[in-house]
Amino acid sequence: MAIPTIQPCAHHSERRAFALCMTCRKSLCQECVTQWDGIYHCASCLAARRSSAAGTSGAAAWLLVIGATGVLLYLSARAMVWAGALLASLF
Amino acid sequence: MIRAPLSTTSVLDESSDVVALAAAPWASALILTSIPYRFLQVLFLQRLIEAGKNATHYGNVLGTTANLTILAFLVSLIGRAIYARACRLAAATGKTPGRETWRVPLASFASYLFIASIAELLFFLGMTTIIGPIVAIIVAGLAVGTMELNERAGIVAPLKLIARYGREARIVLALALVFAIALFIAAVSLYATFTAGLWMASAFTSFDVARWSILLTIWNRQFVFLVIAGAIIAIEPFWIAANVMLVRKAGAEESGEELRLWFRELEEP
Repeated sequence: MAIPTIQPCAHHSERRAFALCMTCRKSLCQECVTQWDGIYHCASCLAARRSSAAGTSGAAAWLLVIGATGVLLYLSARAMVWAGALLASLF
Repeated sequence: MIRAPLSTTSVLDESSDVVALAAAPWASALILTSIPYRFLQVLFLQRLIEAGKNATHYGNVLGTTANLTILAFLVSLIGRAIYARACRLAAATGKTPGRETWRVPLASFASYLFIASIAELLFFLGMTTIIGPIVAIIVAGLAVGTMELNERAGIVAPLKLIARYGREARIVLALALVFAIALFIAAVSLYATFTAGLWMASAFTSFDVARWSILLTIWNRQFVFLVIAGAIIAIEPFWIAANVMLVRKAGAEESGEELRLWFRELEEP
């Protein structure tokens, strides 16, 4: 296992890092990091998340996820029959 | 509740603590939603074996059963998501989670549905290979482990998370191996339980076991499938908890929380 080195805060070089922002991977001190729902974020990434959550692109992302999931599940049902029939013909 | 550096044994050790906290009552949500899915899988297999080499002529019957199985799979994902949240809350607070467990973030759940669907498709497409189902099971485990790290609906971010935590390949593969052995042991135990129950019924009561002894035997294919399905249901809570802990511990190691908690524990008298 690699020995962890103590890194300084990305915004305050005189302070030791307390956590990593899970979005931009910056090392941050206790003052610069915010834990939200168990995950560490820096102020700018948290702000970006808040503004993007309020944006209109969310609807498109939702449609994309729902559509893709629907297609995948349909294909899964077809693949289940296909793989089953293939295996049944082999044995 | 993060006590030791990330390793297979530490993940298993800490996930057992999490299961002890979260199992009652949240494992019941997982088990109740899993039962229809596993039973329909058994039904599909049974119909497939009955059709045998003529399976291609029974497309409608098999297709209908496959559609129902996928529908039941969707329901089982709800139970898995609730239980994974219960595990995460139990790991974070060290207490049995309360009603907040029901409040699974919708965006996280949607992302989880997407990745779980990919894993399901991978499983069936790779069924004729050895590696395909293993990869699919690992992806499905990581999907439930990383579920709550997805704060927005999307198709790229959940895949990136799977790739990030999939880098702990050694631990992920070791966990898969441990749970494969656990599945075998659980199936044998379940079979032994049925056999012992049958034996006791015949020994201590006037219960006619003749018919049951034909049904509850290793030579009855349907019973063997049901025992395997039961074993999967029995180990699923531990599998999900292990994946949640793996992701939590790997994330904590990256964020430094692990070291912070460790130092705090060392400082305590």
